[in-house]
Amino acid sequence: MTDMLLSRVEKPARYIGSEWNMERKEVYDFRFALCFPDVYEIGMSHLGSRILYRVLNDMDGVYCERCYAPWTDMEQALRELHEPLFTLETKSPLRDFDIVGFSLLYEMCYTNVLTMLDLSDIPFLAAERDESYPLIVAGGPCTVNPEPIAELMDAILIGDGEELEPELVECMRQARRDGVSKRELLLRLSAIEGVYVPSLYRPVYENGRYVRTERLCEEAPEHPVRRVVRDLDHAKYIGRQLVPHMQIVHDRVAVEVMRGCTRGCRFCQAGYIYRPVRERTKETLLDQTRALVACTGYDEVSLLSLSTGDYSELHALLPRIIDDMAEQKVSVSLPSLRIDSILKDDLEKMQTVRKGGLTFAPEAGTQRMRDVINKNVTEEDLLRAVTDAFTAGWCGVKLYFMIGLPTETDEDIVGIAELARKVSNCFYRLPKDKRGSGFRVTVSVSTFVPKPWTAFQWCAQNRQEEIVRKQQLLKTALKGVRGAELHCHPSVLSVLEAVFSRGDRRLINVLIDAYRRGCRFDSWAEHFKPDAWAAAFEQNGLTMDEYAHRERDMEEPLPWETIDALVTVSYLRREWQRAQEARTTKDCRQGCNGCFGAHCEDYCRV
Amino acid sequence: MKIIAAFEKTKEISYTSHLDVQRTLQRAFRRANLPLAFSKGFNPHPKLSFATALATGYTSAGEWLEVELEREITPEAFIERVNAVLPKGMRFVTAFVGDESIDTLSKMLVAAKYIITLYTDAPVGTEALRAAVGTILASDEVIVEKKTKSGVKPANIRPEILEAEAVSASDRTAVVAVVGTLNAAGGLRAETFARALFERLNLNGRFTAHRTALLFTGSDRLPRLG
Repeated sequence: MTDMLLSRVEKPARYIGSEWNMERKEVYDFRFALCFPDVYEIGMSHLGSRILYRVLNDMDGVYCERCYAPWTDMEQALRELHEPLFTLETKSPLRDFDIVGFSLLYEMCYTNVLTMLDLSDIPFLAAERDESYPLIVAGGPCTVNPEPIAELMDAILIGDGEELEPELVECMRQARRDGVSKRELLLRLSAIEGVYVPSLYRPVYENGRYVRTERLCEEAPEHPVRRVVRDLDHAKYIGRQLVPHMQIVHDRVAVEVMRGCTRGCRFCQAGYIYRPVRERTKETLLDQTRALVACTGYDEVSLLSLSTGDYSELHALLPRIIDDMAEQKVSVSLPSLRIDSILKDDLEKMQTVRKGGLTFAPEAGTQRMRDVINKNVTEEDLLRAVTDAFTAGWCGVKLYFMIGLPTETDEDIVGIAELARKVSNCFYRLPKDKRGSGFRVTVSVSTFVPKPWTAFQWCAQNRQEEIVRKQQLLKTALKGVRGAELHCHPSVLSVLEAVFSRGDRRLINVLIDAYRRGCRFDSWAEHFKPDAWAAAFEQNGLTMDEYAHRERDMEEPLPWETIDALVTVSYLRREWQRAQEARTTKDCRQGCNGCFGAHCEDYCRV
Repeated sequence: MKIIAAFEKTKEISYTSHLDVQRTLQRAFRRANLPLAFSKGFNPHPKLSFATALATGYTSAGEWLEVELEREITPEAFIERVNAVLPKGMRFVTAFVGDESIDTLSKMLVAAKYIITLYTDAPVGTEALRAAVGTILASDEVIVEKKTKSGVKPANIRPEILEAEAVSASDRTAVVAVVGTLNAAGGLRAETFARALFERLNLNGRFTAHRTALLFTGSDRLPRLG
């Protein structure tokens, strides 16, 4: 059977499993299908899934298996042969599992969730599933606004999963021993911190807009609170990291140095929803790095976090890890360094083993704009960092920017080109024998998407025509900058992303409709079907405009406020006020900004 | 020192590509803590080379490779240490220390032996299978559409077929054993032979291929042709 499927698809290695460190179990009484609604290469690169795979498989009697979204060729093969989608470990259909859990990393994967349910003969809507079906749950950063997919899920897990998921499994096991109904199970689940059971709440709309949420039973928490792992240093980590046969996106050992970020960039949802900052000690990180390298055979290690340069022990950790790894010809990369934290010594250290690409994210072209978004990086910082890098032998740098930011003017767009010009000049100003050849400054531009639980959650997104105009403006302004190369992300996608980021439960009908019209893998340009999406909105009497391009009133009730993401709305309002005045807010390591309000005592000062 | 070794690749991971296998082995060698010799230069790589590639989807009883090590290790220790850290579906079956008799495996390779199993859409009898194989062997030309860089072209694969034999036929399964030329420049592909056979049988279907041996010249220590 599998041979018939595998011989039909372009990349069969996506579906075979049997990777080194794959879990094999003979005895188990509880089955968890860890599902990722994108292809193998992407899902296998996801840090959270790697952690959960370990956490769940370390539980007695629990067997956690993996399943990824089938690429369109495999979907077609499965349909033609009338075969269900299967997990990699035991090639079992999802129907055979106790829990099917989806990781939701970006909104554009929602149609793939439907594909995976559809190919497993599982009804989409939770209300249509009885006890005979697996419990369908979802976790991941998207769940801080769970509403667009709420009706698909029996339960939604908000926040850190490494303690939450085992509690979910234990609760369900106990419920089964007690022989309780699905409704009773859901009630019990809702008592776990971090669990949101959508069927226990009902949103109310008036005049075509969300106005409030009604709780349907007293026992359910009024506002389910985002779960936080307090002691990251002792939290379970990946252990034996899976080593894929085929190349994946992040094909290396992943070491998470810390979770959360103190900077407070106002556009950055991750910066808000992973608070507070929690670090692992350098001893733990060294141990984890050595163990992971030994058990995987990888020759590259990545020190991950939202802002690794802010890790308090970085300058003690980095030389030790690099020396340790150089002996084994293992290179170390730091994918998210901030411009102001990078040091010349680190740069020189980093290239002793292998030289990776250098990427900086000034995010905006002028100081005013950077102050609005609270990206506390100056032009001076950037130019000093790139000069150091060029002197150390780098001859290419990638710069990330966003356009369509709140309060943005054409001056800010032209500022991006000006910054690229100055970076280019930094390179060409060096004496010829001191610099490399083939210089490139890659300007990578994405479209700003306002996200829930950020200071910009009320803002209107720029319309597509405006984004296209700004991209053109930038293109013109970049003419004559030596070595400059412009990459613009397609803006159509950003509109849909904005819709689902700040959407409400009514979008579920649009989602299912779009799926039926063939929408799949929407984040892949070759699969994105804007016309099908437009038709789905039209059919269901909703407009993208209402969700993406409308500025919300500061007092307007927001659908995601049923959730308590710990960061308070009053703090976000203050931040939005300051943004409009182009006033920055200090890094919270220099003093508390009061973002957690009453939660501060319980959740931050831990 | 140089270790010359052969590993088997079974069904469990037959759908990995040659590149995948290279990656998997490199990482396994690291896990086994082998004293690998690295190439000089900017991107040091372990010195590891294969006699040939195995097509994605095929299984094999013995894929040969050579790997350069910086310190001495016995072939037995090599097999034991590497097998302990290989994913299921890959296993070293033999190894020996390289010497002057072996230059470069890919240069010494001359042929390969396959067991090809056809899963046909209609029953096939032993006689029919024998006859079809016989027809192929009796022909001066066996023309098959071959995919090349410049599109699909007809090609005569008869010179590439050294031996072919009907092994068994029952209901919708037919098994043949084939020896075909194989060297760095190319050679017989099990897939093209399978297609030629389907044509002679006047049947459709799919096939699987198992490489039972790679055959070399020039050294007594490697499996030889003939």
